[in-house]
Amino acid sequence: MSKACLREIQAQTYIELVRQGYEIMYLVSDSVSTSRIKLFQQAYPERVVNLGIAEMNLMGVAAGLANGGFIPITGNATPFLISRSNEQLKIDISYSNSNVKVNGMHAGFSYGTDGVTHHEVNDISIMRGFPNFEIYAPCDPRECAQITTYAITERVGPVYISLNSGLFPNLTASDHKFIPGEPTQLAVGNDITIIALGTAVHDVLEAQQLLGGRCQADIFAFTSVRPLNAAPLLESIRRTGRVLTVEQHSTHGGAGSLVAELMAENGTGSKLRRRGIPEGSFTKNWSAPDNKRYFQLDAVGIETAVMHMLVD
Amino acid sequence: MEPDLIKMKSKEIRKLILSTIVKAKGGHAGASLSEVDILATLYFHVLRISAETLQDPLRDRFILSKGHGSEGLYCTLAAKGILPKSELDRYLTHACDLSIHPTNHVPGVEICTGALGHGFSIAVGIALSAKKKNQSYRAFVLTGDGELEEGSNWEAAMSAAHFKLGNLTVIVDNNQLQLIDFISHTMEIEPLFDKFVSFGFDVHVVDGHSPQDLCRVFDNLDYEGDKPHAIIARTIKGKGISFMENVPEWHHRIPTEVEGEAAFRELEA
Ligand SMILES: Cc1ncc(C[n+]2csc(CCOP(=O)(O)OP(=O)(O)O)c2C)c(N)n1
Ligand SMILES: [Mg+2]
Repeated sequence: MSKACLREIQAQTYIELVRQGYEIMYLVSDSVSTSRIKLFQQAYPERVVNLGIAEMNLMGVAAGLANGGFIPITGNATPFLISRSNEQLKIDISYSNSNVKVNGMHAGFSYGTDGVTHHEVNDISIMRGFPNFEIYAPCDPRECAQITTYAITERVGPVYISLNSGLFPNLTASDHKFIPGEPTQLAVGNDITIIALGTAVHDVLEAQQLLGGRCQADIFAFTSVRPLNAAPLLESIRRTGRVLTVEQHSTHGGAGSLVAELMAENGTGSKLRRRGIPEGSFTKNWSAPDNKRYFQLDAVGIETAVMHMLVD
Repeated sequence: MEPDLIKMKSKEIRKLILSTIVKAKGGHAGASLSEVDILATLYFHVLRISAETLQDPLRDRFILSKGHGSEGLYCTLAAKGILPKSELDRYLTHACDLSIHPTNHVPGVEICTGALGHGFSIAVGIALSAKKKNQSYRAFVLTGDGELEEGSNWEAAMSAAHFKLGNLTVIVDNNQLQLIDFISHTMEIEPLFDKFVSFGFDVHVVDGHSPQDLCRVFDNLDYEGDKPHAIIARTIKGKGISFMENVPEWHHRIPTEVEGEAAFRELEA
């Protein structure tokens, strides 16, 4: 199965959208390689604005370009992009409801050995603090293209898209239609519910292979963090009685937190385990696969967690 | 230490950088080679710091704000005897604290860096501490030139002059390159000299690969005066290895074994 880079899928999508007449302006901070927009830049050099290593200015300029009638897209390594410019995101974009799209690249620990300064395992939690933002974590290239398109063609207002930097095959069916708010269900079963943030679902599906016939799981990619239609998740959690969340994110403020909040507020009383970066921990300054293993977010770690929950 | 001896240290440090990066298959060769002569001059001539005084509250402080130049710092600390050389062999392994962006778990590293535009403010805080406590230690911070695009640096500069921090020196590794392109093509920072002057700094422009010139400038700074100092060190990214010099991709390209050997021959020559 062919694999694709989500960032490159975005660049191709943007080229097509400009052709259709959308007034896109792509803002980068020094690097055009991080956002993989070289092709877009070659096609439309005047639609790329490089602000240099200055993420606060970049986010403010984006709000101004939105005011001027453009559809600004900002893309860079997630920590610099959203943490440096936190107050610009809050006031210039969220509070002011500016039509700015924010693409967080290398989310999670996908920056590998560049380490903690370059990892971002709090992006969902940070962005959840900003009203008006829709928040997405596409699980595969197809969904990435659909969400990227939707953010420009249908959604007028702030959108955040969390992108892991690996290469991923399509998981969704070729007729899959992304609908804002809907979790993406990728497997059906009654033994356990597994909810994975964005691309973490690839490891869950690998774990399912390892589990073989021992367990039938309802598996969801948690693609649409806000808006969220929780009904299908709650129905599944009530039915299976057990839920495991898996995310390349802190368990605090991400998918695990969100599911815990939903369960508590709806009184499901099912068993919950959260796999992610435990609260109070930094990631390791290691490669992404090594981090995955360490935090038991790889297939083997997930398989173990599922087996524990089944016998527990 | 005399400039000629510092030059020999630089040579040793460049070799260590190269072997460390080739072995670990990770790092920022161009960025580290650019800063070597500045670091060698600082650690072997300017800074009042040694393996024995790492915990001394009165030691001089050095902050590597361009944290991606970590191999330059680690190898200088190793040459100085602050960090065991054997640690360099374990660079980027799980068994060791040396990571691509430095952390203060490493002896001799004051604070974690790696996100650009933090070190200058930290150095202001350090210099301000010394001043408030009437202590004589000094703060030195090395920034990249692309890094100066971060606005935080200019907030730091404003405050350094306002607090009259003569005990603070910012050194700019002025190699004209940033991540993938020349600064002038990305986001112009010139006129740098005039900017620092207008912010109230005592400003010097120097050949950043000449220990002699660097020593002369550092030796004549008034560390007890009212003006913070800015040293604009003209450098070449990848300095010392012909095929890396001024070539943007060597910001973080890893040399193959063959390239590593060719580079080593150049350094030996
Ligand atoms: C806040 C922040 N934004 C972006 C980066 C990514 N980054 C790492 S090095 C670099 C270029 C630095 O250029 P310069 O400061 O000139 O350093 P040089 O390597 O040339 O010495 C960039 C953009 C970062 N580390 N931190
Ligand atoms: Mg530079």
